[in-house]
Amino acid sequence: MRRESIHRLLPFVLSLAAGMALWEIVGRHTSAAFMVPLSETIHRFWQLAASGQLGTQFLDSATLFATGFALALLVGMPAGLLLARVQSLRVAIEPYIMILYATPMVALIPFILSLMGFGFAPKVLVVFLFAVFPILYNTIEGARSIKPELIEVARSYRSREWALWREVMVPYTLPFTMTGVRQAIGRALVGMVAAEFFLSSTGLGQLIMTATQNFDTGGVFAIILVIGLIGVGLMRFGLYIETYFARWRD
Amino acid sequence: MSTSDLSVSAGRVLASGRSTSLASSPLLLRLLAGLVILLLWEGVVRGFAPAYVAKPSGVVMAIPKVIVNPAFLEATAITLTAVAQGLAIALVMGTIIGLIMGRSVVVERMLRHYVNGFYAVPMIIVLPLFSLWFGYSGAARLATIVFAALFSIIVNVADGAKSVPREYLEVARSFRSGRVRMLREIVLPAAMPYFLAGVRLAAGRALIGAVVAEFFTAIGGLGYFILYQSRTFHHDEAFVGVMLLAAFGVGFEVFVNWCTRHFMPWYRRDEKTD
Repeated sequence: MRRESIHRLLPFVLSLAAGMALWEIVGRHTSAAFMVPLSETIHRFWQLAASGQLGTQFLDSATLFATGFALALLVGMPAGLLLARVQSLRVAIEPYIMILYATPMVALIPFILSLMGFGFAPKVLVVFLFAVFPILYNTIEGARSIKPELIEVARSYRSREWALWREVMVPYTLPFTMTGVRQAIGRALVGMVAAEFFLSSTGLGQLIMTATQNFDTGGVFAIILVIGLIGVGLMRFGLYIETYFARWRD
Repeated sequence: MSTSDLSVSAGRVLASGRSTSLASSPLLLRLLAGLVILLLWEGVVRGFAPAYVAKPSGVVMAIPKVIVNPAFLEATAITLTAVAQGLAIALVMGTIIGLIMGRSVVVERMLRHYVNGFYAVPMIIVLPLFSLWFGYSGAARLATIVFAALFSIIVNVADGAKSVPREYLEVARSFRSGRVRMLREIVLPAAMPYFLAGVRLAAGRALIGAVVAEFFTAIGGLGYFILYQSRTFHHDEAFVGVMLLAAFGVGFEVFVNWCTRHFMPWYRRDEKTD
């Protein structure tokens, strides 16, 4: 067992060390405007963290992400379940939701900018739009997987509407919703950065823009590293809740 | 189409009496819903929004003007060419790296974390860096497209190459078939559905990458066309561009799904997206 874990871990540790060494070497042999070594990136990271900038801007971004994502969840899940229950409504608007799901939402940012201007609300709207359609789309997919017999049986035992939702609808669609949540996490992160780039500049997006304008390549790399690690962490979390709820699938 | 037929018949069972007759013709129902959405949109914009805001009637009026506008056609051609080039580069690189990762445990363990890491990074974040490296040029856009598309292809091809049933390879080996032949006749066909799923994802991401790069660097293309038109308060014209983007997104999705069903009818798997 120990040997096995060493065999698994060793290539990972080695490749991580090799990657870090490669970054350091390439960084040292290129112009500082182009790329900086890992040590310099970490140095800039500490500077940014120590000055408190990184902390405040991170909280700013986190607030934006959390607000937009929570709204997407609050709207997407009940709407998806409602569409699951009311079949004729679902049949009617399903194709339109599919179209919106496949539309690159970034293209709507210029419209949001000129309609709502600069502020917190338009940015939340961007994150919301990026996140809501995967949740909605997957919840509907889940609803399609409910066997009509289940509802018929529940009906013939005269279960009330509330009981039907609690016992059949929610447990059957939730695993699919969670797949949507996992997708939505990735998309909402893109939406967050896009909103910070193209609408009023705040948060980590602003930090990276300022670094770019000052030709502070070390700062750019440091913030990319931070956002990258956040992305990896959130993805892991998304995968975890997806597999957790996947046990409910039959 | 069989799934939607099924869901409609399920709808007939489930729906309460009143809507049963409506649910029996989904096309009519869908058209009706579309009409309601458009009317709502038109009404809200006319009632509450400034005159420049896009509304269905305005967009319809703008379509004939925009689709003969040479600037629009050129912008579309530029963006689509860039997306096609970027996708081609990502496909070749991604397939090679993915196949190697899928067939070699050592390489897989070495690269897996990097690939997953880059895949989880929101692709838009590389724009400042790429504009620093490549300048505000088409090269930055191409690099963004490749970055956006590459990792979903690697991940899916590697998964596909790993999914080859071991027995197939053992049988092939006991009949002394060569490595290249095994790759061509067993590994590649087995990886094909995964590959297509990766391509579908990659195409969507590539399109987003192109638009985002054009927003960021302000280089000519469909994304910049949308940005420019909406900044000069031509929202109807800009919206025609958005519709074209949506059409490409949906069209590619439908095309790849059709390919999967048509060329690989034996294949069923839970969709793995994003």
